[in-house]
Amino acid sequence: MIEIKQLAKKFKVENPKKLSEQAQKDPRLKGRFFHSVKDVSFTCQTGQVLGLLGPNGAGKTTTLRMLSTALTPDSGSVLIDSQDVLSNPVLARKTIGFLSGTTGLYGRLTGRENIQYFAQLHGMSKHNTSTRIQELADLLELHSFLDRRSDTYSTGMKQKTAIARAVIHSPKLVILDEPTSGLDIMAAQTVLDFIRGLKERGTPVIFSTHHLEEVNELCERVVVIDQGVSQFDGTLDDFKGLANGSLSRAFLTAIQQQPASQHDSHTQGEG
Amino acid sequence: MWLVFSKELKELLRDRKTLFFMIALPLLIFPLIFGIAGFVGKQAIDKAQTKVLKYALVGGQYAPEIENALRQPDKFKRIELQSSSEYKSVIRDGKVDFVLVIPSHYSKDVLRDGQATIQLHFNDAGVNLVYRRVNKIVREQSDRFKQMAFATLGVTDEQQKALLKPIQLEKVNTADNRENWGEKIGGILPYILFIICLQGAMMPAADIGAGEKERGTLETLLISPIDRNKIVFGKFLTIGFAGTMTALITVASMAIWGFVLSQGMAVKFVVDFMAQIGGLDFVLIFLMLVPVIAIFAAVLLSISIYAKSFKEAQSYMGPMMILVIIPIMLSILPGVELKAGWAWVPITNVSLAMKELVKGTMDYFQLIAIFGSTLAIAIACLSFCVFWFNKEKVLFR
Repeated sequence: MIEIKQLAKKFKVENPKKLSEQAQKDPRLKGRFFHSVKDVSFTCQTGQVLGLLGPNGAGKTTTLRMLSTALTPDSGSVLIDSQDVLSNPVLARKTIGFLSGTTGLYGRLTGRENIQYFAQLHGMSKHNTSTRIQELADLLELHSFLDRRSDTYSTGMKQKTAIARAVIHSPKLVILDEPTSGLDIMAAQTVLDFIRGLKERGTPVIFSTHHLEEVNELCERVVVIDQGVSQFDGTLDDFKGLANGSLSRAFLTAIQQQPASQHDSHTQGEG
Repeated sequence: MWLVFSKELKELLRDRKTLFFMIALPLLIFPLIFGIAGFVGKQAIDKAQTKVLKYALVGGQYAPEIENALRQPDKFKRIELQSSSEYKSVIRDGKVDFVLVIPSHYSKDVLRDGQATIQLHFNDAGVNLVYRRVNKIVREQSDRFKQMAFATLGVTDEQQKALLKPIQLEKVNTADNRENWGEKIGGILPYILFIICLQGAMMPAADIGAGEKERGTLETLLISPIDRNKIVFGKFLTIGFAGTMTALITVASMAIWGFVLSQGMAVKFVVDFMAQIGGLDFVLIFLMLVPVIAIFAAVLLSISIYAKSFKEAQSYMGPMMILVIIPIMLSILPGVELKAGWAWVPITNVSLAMKELVKGTMDYFQLIAIFGSTLAIAIACLSFCVFWFNKEKVLFR
């Protein structure tokens, strides 16, 4: 079980006057500090998929970066199976598989070399690495391009390879930051099928997305973050219940805005 | 750490830009540029030497010897000018290459008529050997007139020598051949080595710090279960390796091309000189280079990690070249020796120590002190780099 309690993170702004007008009006900007995440709490049980929703700039990526230990929170706690992630980040990284917003592949290495490198960093043996790469290549349909330099890949190829790299060490928790962003339908479906496979094997997945139909398709739990605060944390049914089954209206209700008469720019699709 | 290093190295050797700066540039491009520059320069001098110079002679009737000496159709061609011609404009228009004006009091009898001044009008900008070629003819005449004057006065050859140079200062050099050449070559050596090391390290440094940040691979690496300090050491070693390899390839390339271009003519000198330096001094020169490269690598990596993009990193690294050149230039200045305060000026002291090593006049205890102090600076720079790399505001700018 993953338990996130009252996470908070602020960043120092070198020159607040240089920020855009909109950023200067953001209530999270206090003096020379921008409180990106103020109070985020949620839980995710084993085998659950949790969808992290929120408008652009809500604090989703900062939250996920803190869960992945890339950033250290100013306060709050992250527990994975009752173990404090923040007190031992190196150990935590062994139990977490994280896909950041960018695919983050080394362009001059092949896909296989990229995955192998991270397997080595996780201390995996050569035999285990090659077996696991084979397994992931089957699941994510990587075979046709795995031995090509990754700077020749399409967006979909890159994303699938990046996912394989993120889960090469069979992590206890998988965190994905907008995994289907910019993908075509086929590639997105492969990624979603892979997440479904993780769920079936009992691996909890936390993923941020703007696609509400993906949430409807995969998630048991939904968390909505806005202005750096978790505004909603509950089951998918509870979330739908906010607006009589309409996901986009539920989203707007969660972030305390009037339901838009037209399709909202922050969300795509309708569950 | 070695895992990060080997991965960085693999990527480095697959990068065309880095390969170009690290291998192609020193191995082929630099020698090609120097070769072309040398060839063009030699062609220009050859042309200036063999060109038939067009000239006008004013007052030639006063100096028939010079008039006769200039009658060499394969070297000079006389042009007659109108009396109203302005020398500057006829030279500028290319009608003549020079105008020689002989004064009316020009005479063979220098004892009676005194010194004569001949004016040579020519355009001295650019490569030309006009003065040298005309002076050769004038000097021959001058020497002849001098001999005639001495003969008239009944001065013997010995007296002539004494009259022309009553006191001669004879130079007796106590410096051996190695010291002489060491002073000249030893001053340039650190200049070449340091600049090339820095140049060779810049591109990989920008790539594996800011470049990784820009491509998003740094964040992925940061969440892998490897200690961040090891990431820094791996990257630091890669930059240092690139700088060292660039310097070694450049030196080797210069040696090979020097041999090829001089067709072995300089080999004897080089072999003799190298034989005098000895293996230990070579090792010590390389050892002195190690902490300097470490300083470069640590500073470049710190800059690169701070920058948001490859371009930004490059713009920050540019001024660093000047910061390195200044202390090296100080070591070349006359009067700057490895004494007193200079022994404690970073980079300058290593440059001076390298010069002393080449000359064979190094005080080895002082060398240990310089190595130690430079190593301490390198460790401080690396420590700062580690501290810097662990700061979120730097990593996620």
